[in-house]
This record gives sequence, structure tokens and C-alpha cells, in this order.
Amino acid sequence: MQLILNSLASAAILAPAAIGFTLIFMLFHYANFAAGALAMSGAFAAWSANIGFGFPIWASGLFAMATCAALLVLTDRLVFGPLRGRSGGTLLLVAIALSFILENIVRFFYGSQIRSFDLPLTGPTVLWGLRFTPQTLTVIGVSAAATLGIGAILAFTPLGRGLRAVADNATLAAIRGLPVQRIELAAVAMAGALFGLSGTLVGLDLAIEPNLNWALAIPVIAAAVVGGLGSPLGAAFGAVIIGLAEEFTVAFISPPYKGAVGFAVIALVLVLRPQGLFGTAVERK
Amino acid sequence: MESYLVAILTTASVYAILAMALNLQYGLTGLMNFGIVGFFGIGAYASGIVTETLGQPMVVGTLAAMVVAGVAGALISLLSLRLSGDFLAIVTLGFAEAMRLAFNNEDWLTRGPRGFLIMTRPVLDGLSREATPWFILAVFAAATLVTYLLLARLARGPFGRVLRAIREDDLVPATLGKNVLLYRLQVFVLGSAVMALAGSFYAHYIQTITPQNFTTPVAILVWMSVIVGGAGNMAGAVVGALVITFIYEGTRFLAPWLSGLDPTQISSLRFVIIGVLLIAMIRFRPEGILPERVAPSRRDADKSPPPQTRRGTT
Repeated sequence: MQLILNSLASAAILAPAAIGFTLIFMLFHYANFAAGALAMSGAFAAWSANIGFGFPIWASGLFAMATCAALLVLTDRLVFGPLRGRSGGTLLLVAIALSFILENIVRFFYGSQIRSFDLPLTGPTVLWGLRFTPQTLTVIGVSAAATLGIGAILAFTPLGRGLRAVADNATLAAIRGLPVQRIELAAVAMAGALFGLSGTLVGLDLAIEPNLNWALAIPVIAAAVVGGLGSPLGAAFGAVIIGLAEEFTVAFISPPYKGAVGFAVIALVLVLRPQGLFGTAVERK
Repeated sequence: MESYLVAILTTASVYAILAMALNLQYGLTGLMNFGIVGFFGIGAYASGIVTETLGQPMVVGTLAAMVVAGVAGALISLLSLRLSGDFLAIVTLGFAEAMRLAFNNEDWLTRGPRGFLIMTRPVLDGLSREATPWFILAVFAAATLVTYLLLARLARGPFGRVLRAIREDDLVPATLGKNVLLYRLQVFVLGSAVMALAGSFYAHYIQTITPQNFTTPVAILVWMSVIVGGAGNMAGAVVGALVITFIYEGTRFLAPWLSGLDPTQISSLRFVIIGVLLIAMIRFRPEGILPERVAPSRRDADKSPPPQTRRGTT
């Protein structure tokens, strides 16, 4: 049971970013490797708001989401916009370079120390033989709410319908009179906010440091791939699977190899079931 | 200053060999291998283990390194048979990260983060202290030249033509009866072995290897070299490696003007510059300094204008 609770906490951190990654992939068909770097930037934005300006933690989280949304819109306009239509591999290379730039900009201003939020110290609560902290419950609750919220937006609102239409066929959507540009902008901002949310959650549960970039990028992409790219709720489910796989590796195999789990899962899924667990076949070119 | 130049050139030749191997895989065949540091590291550690732990001469170490990395390349290639483009990149990146974790944690074999000491060096006995770095540079330059001659010949010949066809659209060579998967396998094995050659030489040059030597920034520099030099052009890969090493090492000399910054900040700044350069290059000059030149086929030779085969979509 303890194992499952820990896995859920890991999954809760990954899920929003994995959904953001999937949204970007649905619309533009490229793997934005900078997902980890953006979430890491979000964690630092939240930390600055929390420690620097003395905001309460929920306001810091909102600040991080706004910062990341702005950052993703900016990089999308500046870096990826002019390169639309290039091959997926080229865009991945650009995204890796971008994640590298973001990581080093953060390191330039904040240094490499490990930081954490200003939170009241509370001991873990033990209930029915489970040990957990209030933070763990907050992380799982907020993440679940965000996941369901995004799912509801995509399924029921005009924006969600428009987004799915643009993802399916942008030209057709434009002919039918949908404001493609605005829908894309809204989706990119939404994905950015999700990266910011993941960053804040990781700050609550673990620690804040520039190396989070790598520690997050791989499992986030793994979760999105497992869920089948193009299925946001699949990405959330993928996050749970990655969380379980990581915790099982720590418990039964060897803790240092936790970092390799994401890759092993990606390789397995891509080889055995390339469309992911929930996705339909995606043209991979 | 002179000794510094020799050191930069020695490092540059290691990068040149790596860049040529990546050029074979990506520039010619279009395979996105982001696991460069994995094969580079396997080469370094395998060579170190064979020469130090098993007490063999360096030649045996280098050959063993190439064989081990070749086998690893074959396995990765077989694992990722159906993948291309960005997904192949993610799987190979995963392989490199897994290798780094293994170097870090398998203390009994690699001595982990404390570093693996290598006493064997590519030097003749009885050389003076002044002559030694020059001799090492000569050995490295010779290895670069041999690699260049072999790979450039391969790229020009029928083998290279099939690889370029696979890059453009693997359906065409497949229809012509070429076994695309076998070609991919060969490219992976050969490229990995060449990367291990670079790793082995590098290990015997710096003499202490730690897992930190084989992290993604190295892969980024090699990718930079290929993109800047001109993907698909072997000479371009060498030129690119020289340019990148000089930019990367040269920015060290900026330090006196940036006296307000601590070393972490300066190192971050260098990586920001390299990253921005890479993105700018892809955006504004995707064909690189030395664009790929493909000889027009005999049938097209009399048509005008001559077909300028250039991959603008890199």
C-alpha cells in the first residue's frame, strides 16, 4: 500500500507535464524535450515568488503557471514557430538545445544549490499503517483536480472541441471557420501552465534544483509515450504506470537505476505497442 | 599558450572522430543517434579495463573497446528496428543515460564517481616531457585522418549512395531490393565502433575518466559539430568539430573580462552561447559551413541545371 501511495505521488508530479507534452504533440507533432526544463523553470519561479516576494504557496503556484505559460508561448513563437514543417528529429534537436539553454540560464541566476519552499514543518501522519505528509496529499489532490479539469475542458467546452479539430486537421478546421491561431495559442498557454504546475508540485514533494530538468524530462516523455501520444488522459494514466515502475525499481531492484526506468518503459512500449496504450496509430516521421 | 593550443587540437581530434561517426549515422543515413556518449563511454571504460585491470597493451584495449561498442550498437539497432526520427533519438538518449548510471553505480568494474585511473598512454618510451604532448597530438591527428579517409571513401561509394537513399525515403531502396534493416544495422555497428575508438583514445589521453565525462553536453557538442560543419559531408564534420572546439574552449579566454561572475556562471554562459548558436544555425543555415555535395548521376549529367541535391529540411 505504501508503495502505491508513493507511486501515486510520483505520478501526480508527472501527470500535468505529461498532458502538456501531449497537447503540444497533438497540435504540432514534435516532441518538446524542453518539458523538463520548463517545469524546472516553473519550480524556480514558484520558489522566487514564495521566498523572494513572500507569497503563500498557492499564489506561488499560480505565478509559476503564468510564468511557464508565457515562457512556452514565447519560445514557441521565437524558436519553434519559424521551424514548423521541419522534420520531427530536427525539432527534437532544437528542443534539447532549448532545454539546455533554459537549464543554464536558471543555473546562471540561481546557482546549483538545492532549494525548497518555505513550508511549516510537519511530521508524517500514520493512518491505517500508511505514512504520508500533508504535502503528499496536496500534491495528489491538486494534480488529480488539474487532470480532470483539463479532461473536462477538452471534452465539453468549445475550446476543447476546437482544439481537437485543429489537432486532427488544421487546414480543415481553418476552412470551417475556426480561429486556428487563437486555439493554438490557448493550447500552448495551457500546456505551459501545466508544466508550471508540475514544477510547483515537484518543489512541494522533492527539492528545487537545475538538475530537475533531466530528472523530469525523461519520465514526463515516457508517461506521454506510454499513454499514447494524442490522448491527454492516456498521458495521466501513463504517469501512474511510470510512477509504479519507478517505485518498484527503487523497492525491489536498485534505487540508483530509477533514472533509467523511464527509458526502459519507452523502449518497451515503442517496440511492443508503438501506438501506446490508449492512442490510435500515430504517423511517426 | 603553445601547450594550450596542442591540448585544444588533441581534444578537437577526439570530437572530429565522434562527429564523423555521427555524420555516418545521421548525416548520411538520417538516423538520429543521441546516445553518442553511451558508445563514447563504453569505449573509454572498456579500453581502460582491458589495459589496467587486465594489463594488456593499448592497441588491444582500443580494439576491445570497438568490439564491445559494436556489439552494443548492434543490440540498440535491433531493439529500435522500427523506430525512426525523434523516437529513435529518445531511445538512444535513454541508452546513454542508462550507461552513465551503470558507470556511476558498478563500482567493482568502473570505480564509480571516484574515477578510473589509466596509466597506459599512447607514447613511446624515452620521449622528453616537451615532446610528449606533440607526439600524442600526432597520434590523434593520424587516427582522425585514417578515420576520415575510410569514412569518406565509404560515403562516396555505392554503400554511401544506398545510405543517402535510405535517408531520403527508405521505401525506394527497399523497392530496389536493398535490405534497409541490414544497412541500418551496419551503420549502427560501424558508427558505434568509431565512437568507441574516440572514447578509447580520449581515456588514454586524459588518464582519469569519471561518469561526468560522458554526459549529454558532450553529445550536444558533437551534434553541433555535424550541424555546423554540414550534415552529410565528412570534411564538414571535421571542420565543424574544429570550429566548435575552438568556440567552446576559446570562450574560456573571456573569463578575465567577466570578473564579476563565478565559475559556475561562466560555464552556464558558455552552454547558453552554444545552445543559441545551434538553434540559429538550424534556423538560418541548415546545410552547414560545407554543404553536402552529391555528384549528379550519369543519366542526369546532360540535363541543365545540374540537380543541386541539398537537404534543406535538416
